Amino acid sequence: MHSAVKKTLRYLSSFALIVTLNFALPRFMPGDPVKNLIGEDVYVSEAVMEEIRTELGLNRPLIEQFSAYLQGLLRFDLGYSYHLHSPVSEVLQARIGWTLLLVGVSVVLGAILGILLGAYAGWKPETKLNRGIYCGFIAISCTPPYFLALLFLGIFAFKLGLFPFKGFYDTPTIGSVAYHLFLPVSVLALFSASRNFLVMRGSVIQEKEQLYALYARAKGLYDTSILFRHVVKNASLPIITLLALDFGFLFSGALFIEIVFSLNGMGTLIYDAIIGKDYPLLQGAFLVIALSVLLANIFADLLYAAVDPRVRRPA
Amino acid sequence: MQKETCVHEKEPCVYEDVELQREARVRKKACIKKEAYLEKEPGIPDVGYVQKKAPGQKEVDILKKAPGQKEVDILKKAPGQNEAYIKQRTWQEKIPVFRQPIIYLQKYGKFLGTFNRAGLFLLLFFLCMALLPSFFAPYSPAERFTPYEAPSVSHFLGTNDIGNDILSELFYGARISMMVGFASACISTLIGLTIGLLSGYFRGWVDELLMGFTDVVLILPKIPLIIILGAFLHPSVWILILVLGLLSWESLARIVRAKTLQIRESGYVKSARGMGFSPFHIMSTDIIPNIVHVVLPKFMLATASAMISEASLSFLGLGDTSMKSWGMMLSFAFSRGGFIREMWWWYMPPGLCITLCVMAIALVGFGFEPKAGDTEKQVVDI
Repeated sequence: MHSAVKKTLRYLSSFALIVTLNFALPRFMPGDPVKNLIGEDVYVSEAVMEEIRTELGLNRPLIEQFSAYLQGLLRFDLGYSYHLHSPVSEVLQARIGWTLLLVGVSVVLGAILGILLGAYAGWKPETKLNRGIYCGFIAISCTPPYFLALLFLGIFAFKLGLFPFKGFYDTPTIGSVAYHLFLPVSVLALFSASRNFLVMRGSVIQEKEQLYALYARAKGLYDTSILFRHVVKNASLPIITLLALDFGFLFSGALFIEIVFSLNGMGTLIYDAIIGKDYPLLQGAFLVIALSVLLANIFADLLYAAVDPRVRRPA
Repeated sequence: MQKETCVHEKEPCVYEDVELQREARVRKKACIKKEAYLEKEPGIPDVGYVQKKAPGQKEVDILKKAPGQKEVDILKKAPGQNEAYIKQRTWQEKIPVFRQPIIYLQKYGKFLGTFNRAGLFLLLFFLCMALLPSFFAPYSPAERFTPYEAPSVSHFLGTNDIGNDILSELFYGARISMMVGFASACISTLIGLTIGLLSGYFRGWVDELLMGFTDVVLILPKIPLIIILGAFLHPSVWILILVLGLLSWESLARIVRAKTLQIRESGYVKSARGMGFSPFHIMSTDIIPNIVHVVLPKFMLATASAMISEASLSFLGLGDTSMKSWGMMLSFAFSRGGFIREMWWWYMPPGLCITLCVMAIALVGFGFEPKAGDTEKQVVDI
């Protein structure tokens, strides 16, 4: 019970930190807060600027501003993008579904690929094939995500012409979407797999020395059944934590991949917001990403407790 | 030349203590085993070890010349090794400048596999590139020629959109990419080391507070936060270094804390505390030297990931346009038509350089990591 309280406290303070950061950033960064809050390249007259200043409450004390900001958050009010002339929450709502689809499919594929290959590579780390796979995954994990995406785009879409190089679909059918998403998903899944693979491999190498593995062998089980019935179950526990922490990493990786493949998700939105200095949009996007990473972590903790009985019943 | 001799064999020590006697027997076995092991090693000729334990003393390495030997060099115990051994000097080691690195390589040589050595050479190559770009580069990076030129004899990798020689840009970019990586890794290592040491050594509420803070920071998504900070703070290399350094210390802090918790219970720390040394003194002289082997690989990995982050941020246009790193080159190649025109000689080299350099650093980092079996012995070291 004690650890559950600690965990809850930890998540609450993470949440508080994220919200506070989001509130404080435009107000304490160098430059005029009004400019920071509406974006730099928007042209407004002095009178309008004063109007916005009073409207946003920037001349009130910080405490009042903070409580107003929190009340706004409770109504899903993330501010107003003066570039796109619409509320930030609406803009994000339209785009986030696609990014979540891209990330979600890649996380699942990457986890399966990483766990399977990692288990095999850890079971017999000395064979040539497994050493080759190990080197390959190290190389992938050392590449910047967008460079691999560029390579895939260059080779498979431009040179070979196998895949389209732009957009989510031609006609909104499942087949078309899958065809368009094949390359981006495979790049992102490879990244996710490379991280899972390295952890899984090390974990299997450790676990196979344990006594229960020896006992399973003494019972006369085959290699594959020792590996998949006994060792993988224990070795894949660290993967759950890693998946949650990696969710943030993959989310940012997805941003770059979307830019390279010109997919209209959060990534291109953020890219345009950086170029146009659209601060409210950037902040809103950061808040949404940070909160989804937080949720993923909470989910992973619950999953961990459900999968591993030792966590549920502490000795 | 005197053959290997183990002192235990010649003059069996008689200990009053049964426990010590058993230990001596175990040591003797280990000694014989080590001999067989060392015989197989081609790099170390003429090994003989002398090791004696006086009752009451914890552990002594007695360094004795074998009768036939003229000059001996004493190698210290490598972590995890049971016996110290005496070795005749080879000619390279007689030159003082070479001695330290060679001894170091011999000590850690067995950890470094083929890949790690390849990584080391690659890293040295990139370091040379970063330190002496003007020596390698054919032109100054600001010099202008005909834009969009294909590779030729005068320009090995062609020219970019404003006519700079790409090969020269590549050499000069090494310094900036690697500087960002190493500098931010230094910052993050310093922070992680401090927080890990403090919370591991003092435990109690300090530990709860610092580790709670670490967990909170760990959840923050790094790249989005750096994107938003970079957008507000107008790009500059120094801000990038600072932000990257301030946001990537958590995993190091956790590992250092775990190690410190182990080491603070060991005999030498307890006796140092008993003698009344200050916590700061104990941490700096007793604990830090014993956690270097976990900090070093983490430092290298932090460098590697900082370089990737730098490249990614440059790609978004959040880098410093006045200092062209590899990431910036790649970003320009993408946004200024190098990719559409299929000028592979423009976008491939910087990307490959980033990948290879990051890989070299990571491989060297893996090489520093002790093998699973050795960690246990290090922990038991009392």
